[in-house]
Amino acid sequence: MKLLEYIAHGAAGESEILVNPTREVRRIGAGGRMSLVVVHATAAPSSLEVELGEGASLHLVEAFCGEAMASCRVRQAASSRCEITSVVTGSAEADYAIDLDGSGAENTLRGAFIAGGAERVRFGLRVSHNKGCCTSNSVVKGVAGGTASCEFNGLVYVAQDAQQTDARQTSRNIVLGNDARIVTKPQLEIYADDVKCSHGATVGQLDDEAILYMRQRGLSEAQARRLQIEGFVRDIVSQAGSLSDALAEELTAKLEEL
Amino acid sequence: MLSVKNLHASVEGKEILRGINLEVRAGEVHAIMGPNGSGKSTLASVLAGNEKYTVTEGSVEVLGRDLLSLPVEERARMGLFLGFQYPVEIPGVTMANFMKMAVNEQRKYRGEEPLKANEFLRLMREKSAVVELDSKLTSRAVNEGFSGGEKKKNEIFQMAMLDPKLAVLDETDSGLDIDALRIVATGVTKLHTKDNATVVITHYQRLLDYIVPDVVHVLYKGRIIYSGDKTLAQKLEREGYDWLINDYKE
Repeated sequence: MKLLEYIAHGAAGESEILVNPTREVRRIGAGGRMSLVVVHATAAPSSLEVELGEGASLHLVEAFCGEAMASCRVRQAASSRCEITSVVTGSAEADYAIDLDGSGAENTLRGAFIAGGAERVRFGLRVSHNKGCCTSNSVVKGVAGGTASCEFNGLVYVAQDAQQTDARQTSRNIVLGNDARIVTKPQLEIYADDVKCSHGATVGQLDDEAILYMRQRGLSEAQARRLQIEGFVRDIVSQAGSLSDALAEELTAKLEEL
Repeated sequence: MLSVKNLHASVEGKEILRGINLEVRAGEVHAIMGPNGSGKSTLASVLAGNEKYTVTEGSVEVLGRDLLSLPVEERARMGLFLGFQYPVEIPGVTMANFMKMAVNEQRKYRGEEPLKANEFLRLMREKSAVVELDSKLTSRAVNEGFSGGEKKKNEIFQMAMLDPKLAVLDETDSGLDIDALRIVATGVTKLHTKDNATVVITHYQRLLDYIVPDVVHVLYKGRIIYSGDKTLAQKLEREGYDWLINDYKE
């Protein structure tokens, strides 16, 4: 796994590194900052809970290979900020539950899963706006090849008094060939009336026009396909700071197998 | 350079090209004109190898090789370039990365070593100047968010990078304002040598003020019905196509 090599060479910087955690709980005090890198490389259940105090910030990068079943729960107090990058390159179950419990909390989640062969991925994301004036923005991109089967379950919940919520959730997917499957279920559950919420989901194929264009410049069909998929997930990993390159390589290595 | 003989091609069972004959020699510029729907873009697509079209009859040779038996990428690697009428956006793939792969694939085909990073950067700088392409655009995703003019400049930039033997430019002038047209057309002229050839597909004569063709062909209903020198384009601009195509109307 390339990511672990990168980490061994210091790519995670000052971040705390958790490899195959079983159960971890962290509390970040008011105004505190934490940066976490979590790697799931074994087929084991795992749970991570992080509580952010007022104005605290969390930067979390999570990578799944091996058949991990992981849940991640984040509770955010007022004015806290949390940024999550989650990359799945193999069979896994990843479940995120975000609770925005204080006014002005912000959450950004960027997720990507790539599955080939007979792999199975389940990516769950529940963002709960329990208090008003919070912002959440989630983008999860999926790619399935071979006979892989993937599922995205997204939910944005907005409580009755969570006015002036700004919530966005996007699920975009590419299915390669006729035997792969991606099912996406983005849902909104809104009980407040003064909110800005949007969600969208697409399941499509590679763009044949783009592949033709790249082949016309001399790339092989396989190169053109791979480049397009890399481009598709590029923006997910590009914000992961010093680990961006490692995650991109992880994805590229996975694409070689598709 | 290019020898097209009795080329017939169809899409979804509908025949679009109905017996094209065309000879282009090294050092020449040919213009193909004609009203909408006459088959100009189909000809470009068939030459490039777009699998959407089925060739039902005829032959195409480029540099002495049977073009129609080759896949798209091999045609490109042997030196055929198609400037797209509608350049495609490829999100997340930077121009620099894309061009590096394309240039090196073509070098590999010719048995050459891949370019070193500094050589490649120098080539990019040098070639982006040919079409006054803002060098910032090369670090952006391919055609994404480019204006119409930038997209067409970017086509000619790629042509400059790849240095093709035969370039087919499909309505490279469409959607360009007068300044962008001048830059694009001047770029094409700069790239022209006695060893390569260019086929320019266009609606309007104005492009040919800059790119002076040796031969102008009129394509109508899938056939070249008339060929002449550069004055033909001016006559078409003045008088339209009617005097030519009346005999062919059904």
